[in-house]
Amino acid sequence: MLTPAELVWLIAAVAKGDEAAFERLYAATRAKLFGVVLRILRRQDVAEEVIQEAYVKIWNSAGQFNPGLSSPITWMASIARNRAIDVVRKRSELSLEDEPAAAEVAADSPDPLARREMTEELKRLLECVGRLEPDRQKLVLLAYYNGWSREQLAQKFATPVNTVKTWLRRSLLDIRECLGLGS
Amino acid sequence: MMAYSEDHIALAAEYALGTLDADERAQVETMMAIDNDFTVIVQAWEFRLGVLNQMVGSVEPRPVVWENIKAAIGRSEPQAPAPLVLPEEPPPPVGPVVVQQAPVADGSNVIQLSNRFRRWRSIAMAASAIAAVLVAMLSIEVYQPDLLPEGLRPKPRTQVVEVKTPAAVVAPSAQYVALLQGQGGGPAFILTVDGATKNFTVRKVGAPAAEPGKSYELWLISDKLPRPRSLGVIGGGDFTARPVLSSYASDVVNAATYAVTVEQAGGSPDGNPHSSPVYTGKLIETVPPSSQPPR
Repeated sequence: MLTPAELVWLIAAVAKGDEAAFERLYAATRAKLFGVVLRILRRQDVAEEVIQEAYVKIWNSAGQFNPGLSSPITWMASIARNRAIDVVRKRSELSLEDEPAAAEVAADSPDPLARREMTEELKRLLECVGRLEPDRQKLVLLAYYNGWSREQLAQKFATPVNTVKTWLRRSLLDIRECLGLGS
Repeated sequence: MMAYSEDHIALAAEYALGTLDADERAQVETMMAIDNDFTVIVQAWEFRLGVLNQMVGSVEPRPVVWENIKAAIGRSEPQAPAPLVLPEEPPPPVGPVVVQQAPVADGSNVIQLSNRFRRWRSIAMAASAIAAVLVAMLSIEVYQPDLLPEGLRPKPRTQVVEVKTPAAVVAPSAQYVALLQGQGGGPAFILTVDGATKNFTVRKVGAPAAEPGKSYELWLISDKLPRPRSLGVIGGGDFTARPVLSSYASDVVNAATYAVTVEQAGGSPDGNPHSSPVYTGKLIETVPPSSQPPR
């Protein structure tokens, strides 16, 4: 894995149309982005479409990346994840339970826990999420990691959708306050 | 920047979280297109929550994905990557930050032990909100991508040792989990006590392999006990059960701090720990893993 500074360098080169830099950027980040969208979409074919679109968008909008606002991997993952959420929200007719048979993929995934170092930003966020009620922690995490809608969360927590809506809103505002942020 | 109402902020946050429906998402995207300040708020939330992706495991896409991307950006022939001169960077930090001390040769010093025990307590009290949210993540299987299609799942690298523990320690059907972690690092071991089967499981997750000539040893620390009690060595199938838990009341077991030290190979020879704990955690009651998410 490249360092954040190396990724910033590559994105700056991509913004100038450097295709070799784009290939290196892809090689360094594809498995992380694919892991994020596959967890939400749970179908390999759809997840592949989504990261294709995401990387095309990254290619086209690299000039808009602001390293002062975000780490490069977070910026790229946001693009991919937003695309994945759009797909699951718009294609509700798509049965995500119908997983295509036999995903012929050579999976070589690093153990997600091995050799991980949490950044300070992650630790601060986890501390604030961890201060929520246990059910609301799970609510926020299921929403983020699995991309579940309010309806799905309502079903999971056996509670009305409006209650979920209130819990989500309250939880996010609590997180904001805990982080000591104005916006 | 103009002031935004709490409703606007919550809308931006929910967009970043992903829980808005398609119409609301379109509404937010329209607002972003016409209002740069609102865009900044949405992006701030995306970046704030985006660090959560650090916990998600990587999965390799098929090579065809890159072929399609290349085609889409309007280029037919791949180019050999040009050698890049990158800015000098310090090497990235590797592995969890672990407070690890060389084992003390003579661990029988009582004063030294009591000082150390005091430090153990303070580390135990730092069992924080972070640990709680990691347990929540565990319960939704962020760590165990079982939801992925077969063949896409990361190869399991956890080492599981099961030991029968005496019955009647915890309530039947309750599930207890402790994440044992070092300072600043991710979880190193996951300790579970299954109320139904009374099995006691230690999984090695993020911990590096024990150094040659050393072993990890698991300890129970309780305010109600004068000193830490060994629960055995964690290692390649040679977890050693000791008749310890059966003699403790459930409230001791449930409220105890569990700690891992680095001991000489085969474990502490005298029943006392010889290093500061490198990983600690407390049991938290958790729900059994759900079978299927609602769809």
